[in-house]
Amino acid sequence: MKQTKITKDQIQKLALSAIGFVILLYVYFSFFLGPLNRSRAAAEKNIADLQGKLASSKSDMTRAVNLEKEATTATSRFAALKALSPEGAPIAWFPPRVKAFFANQQIDKVTTKLEGTAAYRQAEMAEWMKYSWGIDLPQTDFATFGKAVAELENTEPLLIVSKIGIRAGAEDAQFQQITLTANTAIMKR
Amino acid sequence: MALHLNLLHEQIAEQRQRQRDPLKLGMMALGAIGAIMLLFYVLKAYQTLAVKSRLSGVQANWSKVEPKVTAAQKRSKELTGIIGTTKVLDTMIESRFYWGPLLQTLSRCVAPNAQLTSIEGTVSEDNKLVTLSIQGIAAGREPRAAAEELRQLLMEQLGQLYGSVKVEFRTLEDLDTIVNVAGSSMAIARYGLDVAFDPVKPEAAKAGASPASPAAPKK
Repeated sequence: MKQTKITKDQIQKLALSAIGFVILLYVYFSFFLGPLNRSRAAAEKNIADLQGKLASSKSDMTRAVNLEKEATTATSRFAALKALSPEGAPIAWFPPRVKAFFANQQIDKVTTKLEGTAAYRQAEMAEWMKYSWGIDLPQTDFATFGKAVAELENTEPLLIVSKIGIRAGAEDAQFQQITLTANTAIMKR
Repeated sequence: MALHLNLLHEQIAEQRQRQRDPLKLGMMALGAIGAIMLLFYVLKAYQTLAVKSRLSGVQANWSKVEPKVTAAQKRSKELTGIIGTTKVLDTMIESRFYWGPLLQTLSRCVAPNAQLTSIEGTVSEDNKLVTLSIQGIAAGREPRAAAEELRQLLMEQLGQLYGSVKVEFRTLEDLDTIVNVAGSSMAIARYGLDVAFDPVKPEAAKAGASPASPAAPKK
């Protein structure tokens, strides 16, 4: 059996071929197969994300439909409460409303002043403001006032009377001087 | 046995040497590996194209659904907000203190000989305590007794509506003035009463009644 002799020239060529092979492998994996794999992996990730979103979208839509059914009462109640806050600055419409209310209750002299405003602590009430009003009724009698307050509490659900001061009139004992502090929840417009 | 002479020995050896040339064999192996790699790349490219085509299908589906989903999510958020706000407002409305029934009770308790001159009432921020400061003048042979009668009556009447009722004298002093009531002269006393109570009666709270029930809106 004869031994194959490799010449120096052949060794050089083999070495060059080996280097070329390594370079070929590098180029193949780095510039061809690598980007292709990355692109496929990204596409598969996108598909998984979108399929997840599609799956959750069905539950979101079902939830919205169910919530819409459940919230019918709350929505109509909210609309009714919202309607109690007309457009415009409360200082412009609240005092005339109070004056008209007490005028209907046979109490003609009414002065309403804004004492302050504050935001509510609850996160759900971010769209609402608490207005504090000072209402003076300088001349009324106790019975008329009692009925008027009861009516006011029944017709203004968002009004809370926090203080009441009743003093006998200095000139005529039949009449009393009354001061009220009332807080109202008014929607920001 | 015939003598066999190989006269082409040199040429055959050279041909064999050429066939076993490592460079040539290496190049052939390289070519084969290259072909396999190319085939593998084509396969992967095909798979990638298939995945991308699936992705564009899913994207098309999503683009159809997305506006509806976004609207549904927005509506859900809005509804959740409305429900939460309505709940808070309802709690505020239900837990507020109604003054009408209290004023009515006060007017029923005051006898002609124990007139009130001033009432100052306050509800605490959490609607759990109502305080009243009452001042008045009592007249009678025993004006102090008339004032005490009013205190006891208030205690009894308010106790029927509210919880933890306290009615205490802050001041009670005789005055030198004599007044004429229904044709008879009577002594008078000035009194000051401090009233405090919980708007919710404990029994009502235990029974799960609405906080507004003891002080239901006056008709």
